[in-house]
Amino acid sequence: MPELLPELDPVVHGKLRLALLSLLVGVEEADFTWLRDKTGSTDGNLGAQMLKLEEAGYVAMQKRFAGRKPQTLYRMTPTGRKALANYVTSLKRLLNGAL
Amino acid sequence: MTDFETTNPPRRDDLVQRIELMEAMIAEGRRATTRFGWIFVMWGLLYYAAIAWEVYLPAPAFAWPACMVLGFVIIRAWRWRLKRSGAGDEGIRSRSISAVWGAMGCAIFLYIGAAAFSHHIMNPAVNAAVLFFLGLAHAISALILRWPAQGAAAAVWWIGGIAIFLAPVDATIYIFLVATFFGMVLFGLYAMMLERQRAASLVQHHA
Repeated sequence: MPELLPELDPVVHGKLRLALLSLLVGVEEADFTWLRDKTGSTDGNLGAQMLKLEEAGYVAMQKRFAGRKPQTLYRMTPTGRKALANYVTSLKRLLNGAL
Repeated sequence: MTDFETTNPPRRDDLVQRIELMEAMIAEGRRATTRFGWIFVMWGLLYYAAIAWEVYLPAPAFAWPACMVLGFVIIRAWRWRLKRSGAGDEGIRSRSISAVWGAMGCAIFLYIGAAAFSHHIMNPAVNAAVLFFLGLAHAISALILRWPAQGAAAAVWWIGGIAIFLAPVDATIYIFLVATFFGMVLFGLYAMMLERQRAASLVQHHA
């Protein structure tokens, strides 16, 4: 059923990206280290996936200093929330009938 | 955690895996957003209960100690339950805020105990200090969380503390009642409302 595939947003569907969006949906903002620890990802992979999410407009990044330590904070954008909501709807539809 | 190829048609197992992954991650996120608003409402109501007991019930000397101990027991039980369920928040921000309020609680307990023991408890300045303690804890939390609403709660307590010095002695109790309403009960209800909005997860909406 290849025609069903386009319904799943490929940006959201990536396993690590989906995990990141699911983490971010419940928090106001999260820092890079927290996301890395929760997903068990490497710095490089996490950075690359966050960049993809940022480019898609699903997350917003902010850099700041906590004392002298640089901190990278991410939060989900309204577009990201909508994309995740659409993804869940598509998943549900696929699971309920199509597959 | 490797990325998932999306070039092939999705298999049911893969999709089920995605749902499980989302549920697990949302639960992880929720651990970092444990609800605290009710604690403020509870303390506010316990202040009112203590005052009501003091005025209307026998053994008024036990009113404040009993209500405060009850509050501590409820908090301890809640924390124990959180820890047991694995949902305790381990974040540095949460630990900092818990530390501030825990230390403030100890300070007030010792301060009031010492004031009562030395018969200074009826002095308005002693009561005003309690309001400044509470305002201080709110203000530190507000600064950590960068949350103006809690800054407003701090201001309520501090204004109350100042008002106690300026108003007649009889007004102290009324100032405390008003500060408790705005700085604890109303603030706690507002926090609960925000927490409820935040916790409304997409998965629940689409279930």
